[in-house]
Amino acid sequence: MVWYKAWLETRWRFLIGLGLVVLGAMGAVFTYPQVASLVTLGEKVDATTRVGRAVVESAHLSRTYAGYIWSQWFGQNLPQYWTVFALMLGSGGLLTQASRGGALYTLSLPASRNELVWTRAAVSLAELAALAIVPALVLPLMSPAVGQTYALGDALVYGVCLFVGGTVLFSATFLLSTVFSDMWKPFLIVLLVAMFVAVCRQIIPALGSYTPFGVMSAETYFRGGTLPWAGLIVSALVSGVLLIGAARNIARQDF
Amino acid sequence: MPDTLAIHTADLRKTYGDVEALRGLNLAVPPGSIFGFLGRNGAGKTTTIKVLLGMVRPTSGHAQVFGLAADVPESSVEIRRRIGFVSEDKDLVDFMTVEAIIRFTAKFYPRWRTDLEQKYLRLFALPADRRVKALSRGMRTKLALLLALCRGADLLILDEPTSGLDPAVTEEVLQALVAHVANEEAAIFFSTHQIAEVDQIADRVAIVDAGRTVVTGALDDLRESYRRIQFVFDGDAPEPTFRARGVERVRRKGRVLSVLSSAGTEHIVEEARALGPLSVDVVPVTLKEIFLETVTAEG
Repeated sequence: MVWYKAWLETRWRFLIGLGLVVLGAMGAVFTYPQVASLVTLGEKVDATTRVGRAVVESAHLSRTYAGYIWSQWFGQNLPQYWTVFALMLGSGGLLTQASRGGALYTLSLPASRNELVWTRAAVSLAELAALAIVPALVLPLMSPAVGQTYALGDALVYGVCLFVGGTVLFSATFLLSTVFSDMWKPFLIVLLVAMFVAVCRQIIPALGSYTPFGVMSAETYFRGGTLPWAGLIVSALVSGVLLIGAARNIARQDF
Repeated sequence: MPDTLAIHTADLRKTYGDVEALRGLNLAVPPGSIFGFLGRNGAGKTTTIKVLLGMVRPTSGHAQVFGLAADVPESSVEIRRRIGFVSEDKDLVDFMTVEAIIRFTAKFYPRWRTDLEQKYLRLFALPADRRVKALSRGMRTKLALLLALCRGADLLILDEPTSGLDPAVTEEVLQALVAHVANEEAAIFFSTHQIAEVDQIADRVAIVDAGRTVVTGALDDLRESYRRIQFVFDGDAPEPTFRARGVERVRRKGRVLSVLSSAGTEHIVEEARALGPLSVDVVPVTLKEIFLETVTAEG
């Protein structure tokens, strides 16, 4: 039943996120015909500036449907949406509830704090997995509507990389939520760090594969068919450590 | 024996930074008793309850419930399985409906009493489909009580169960508690600063002040053993130092010397007679007087 309560606590954040990413995925599919018609225009942009080079590269990638989907959706929009909801699902929890005077009932039930924390983390991670996989599955389903096809296997690979790579962001927020009782502080701290990392990645492309976003977009898989194994393993390990830290932090606190 | 007690604490201490919330609290709550835990605001009542429930770890000393250590996470889960708890703020899960929180809670307790659930739903007239956050204070308290009473618990821990309730609802809640103990053989440990409630339903009491137990025992024994002795002198009352045991408090006001005794009056009266009082009166004291005298003295 701890699962049920964790689900009730997070369901609106999850459902709103799911609606948004599914609509986003459909939007990406249905705008392809217009984008395809603008590809030649994009390639004529002055490529001597950084922005110009990005536009030209994007236009170049959009010559193929798979390139367009990766550059617009898996490489850009989906990680951005997903990150926001990962941080939202990582925020809150027992400490926030305790600071508002609403955790005593839960804590008085015959369930250990470890059980409460790990269940909440597991439910949120399951929701985040759905937020990564479901919009990925929309692509092979909807692509025929614009006369294209998209491989189910590729969609799943991108979805899994997004989820595993991004769990670091969720887990960092989850850990900070056991430090700050305020719901928004952990969200904003990790969001600012994520934005800083994303900007650094734009300025120094060589950093790409060393950041969570490099793993989340699975760029190595798109460009060379190689999964970012090192990034995936490191992300999973770091996430595990952060979650263990969160559980220990809650267990040792008086409230 | 401590392991047969529902609650047993020995020299229990809890410090938050520089603040000593508990300063050597000793409690012994027998099974099947209604135990009033009296104290002023900030006396350490809620901290004690949180220690017993495993939410707060003691700085030193021992706290046991049914002989299980409250500060060990594993035994704390077992303790909570055998306890019904109502918090001071009547904390519940606000976004659930009455029906949903009953079903949710019932899943944690294998001994959940569906018969009592139906009984209290009717008795308290709780609207099953209303969200908890939409309930009035009184309704919320009744729901919290239903959720505690139906667990098949061996012990109910109630933190200020009637705070904020009107007299009619307070009476309803107290009657429900007494009936529950009579029918289910559970112990009740309830904290309050309402002396009248302890007088009305408790059979044992502990008065706590500044984190320490200042008086504890069976209510009847306290009523029997505590006496006020008033000596009237023809001039200003003297300042005697009594050797007799049981002198809890001595007050002088003009010609009157007032002594609160907790262990008989004979020896105190004997000692005071040597001072030549005009009159001596021995009168019983109420729990309220005991509370005010001991708490004021200690605090």
